[in-house]
Amino acid sequence: MSDPALLSLAQAREVAPRELVQACRARIERWQPRINAFLEVVENPRPGVPLAHKDMFYRAGRVASCGSRIRRDWVANETSAALERLDAAGFGDLGRLNMSEFAYGPTGHNEHFGDCRNPWNPEYITGGSSSGSGAAVAARLVFGALGSDTGGSVRLPAAACGVTGLKTTWGRVSLRGAMPLSHSLDTIGPLARSAEDCAILLQTIAGDGDSREKKEIRIAMSTEWIERYADPQVAAAVLAAAKALDRNALEVEPPDFETLSAHCLVVMQAEASAQHAQWMRERPADYSSAVRARLEAGYAIPAAAYLETLRLRAAWLERFCAQTLGAADLYLLPTIPVPLPTREQTGPKGGADMPRLLSDLTRLTRWVNYLGVPALALPCGFDARGLPMSLQLVGRPFSEALLLAAGRQYQRATDWHQRLPA
Amino acid sequence: MVTVTILWSAEAIETALAAQGIALASGRAERIARAQQALLEAAAADPLRATLTFDANPAGYPAALESCR
Repeated sequence: MSDPALLSLAQAREVAPRELVQACRARIERWQPRINAFLEVVENPRPGVPLAHKDMFYRAGRVASCGSRIRRDWVANETSAALERLDAAGFGDLGRLNMSEFAYGPTGHNEHFGDCRNPWNPEYITGGSSSGSGAAVAARLVFGALGSDTGGSVRLPAAACGVTGLKTTWGRVSLRGAMPLSHSLDTIGPLARSAEDCAILLQTIAGDGDSREKKEIRIAMSTEWIERYADPQVAAAVLAAAKALDRNALEVEPPDFETLSAHCLVVMQAEASAQHAQWMRERPADYSSAVRARLEAGYAIPAAAYLETLRLRAAWLERFCAQTLGAADLYLLPTIPVPLPTREQTGPKGGADMPRLLSDLTRLTRWVNYLGVPALALPCGFDARGLPMSLQLVGRPFSEALLLAAGRQYQRATDWHQRLPA
Repeated sequence: MVTVTILWSAEAIETALAAQGIALASGRAERIARAQQALLEAAAADPLRATLTFDANPAGYPAALESCR
């Protein structure tokens, strides 16, 4: 292969870091004007296989803008636990990646630093909030990137940009030194070119990522729901992927997506608004109108409703594991059930249809965060417009290894994850 | 089962947020009232709510994560 930036992460570890950095820098020069994935490319990156991360992972002495005007010049005084582990393992860090303001948006718009744009077609959203992570990995500017996932923020950009993204079990990866959004829901996970590469990064940041085959993997799914509610192209791609993974998948009743999504929103809004209370009182005009509006809404969540929602969480988790998964290992569904919208449709000038578009986008991701279970987003095809489609596998708590094994098995049989944006 | 926990109006939203020191952008109160009313109704319609035991509390969730491994 002529361009070392196109190697897998595992292969790249055998190449001299200087050569890899040069190759990635050349691609950044070419792609950055088109996709705006980086907020900063560092001059002298630490040596190692080049990664870069969502700009909410603190590194002592470096700016961590969190995609916001409020923290545009804020310098962290500690390094996040996840970055410390990557440093110790010898990975490089090429710079800071674009993200939705304070990780509080599902599309990748950012009015302070400019929208991150989809490498497959810059008119379309990247998904968010880990927008730069998805775009940079898809364009092969880095070999992997960390993101955070509170309501879908790893899986949505992974899906929209055609890369592999892992939402970890709540509590699996240390949140120390990562910007908080909603402490009951926040998780950290990798976006990379394959499940195998995600496993390497997970193993580094959490000490677990073994994706070796362990047993025959049993899938549960709800074909009728997918056929009825997902876009026909998405449904066809996801159902084909299900066949490739398990020809005898178990048919089960779908989880109560609507109730679980509502619970996720109640928790997320209450906690995010509490987190931002001081700035919302003192400098509300420094937020974008979209983020300010989301934060305002959280102050109308009654404390009793918030706490009752959290009291219900264990019961819902037990029900998902016992009834939805039952004898199966993983539950399969689309990551994004609808055609990807454009940046214009979902941006500041979006029309009356925008709330529905945003709700459709996160319909199948938020419920996972309320349960706190892990999920893997995998590319599973391209629609008629040439935009990626993605399937989602959801497992029991701490079943990341099994998810990654299933992902690896699927990616051995398909090549969707190897396709490159032109 | 009671399925609606609160009835939000624009005025109630303005008062509730003002009490927390939050100044609302103009025209926002009514939109928030509509959205939050719908959200809280959806959450309150949870079928498991009626079966929640008195002793259930949020601190039980990490133990549930472990036991569901």
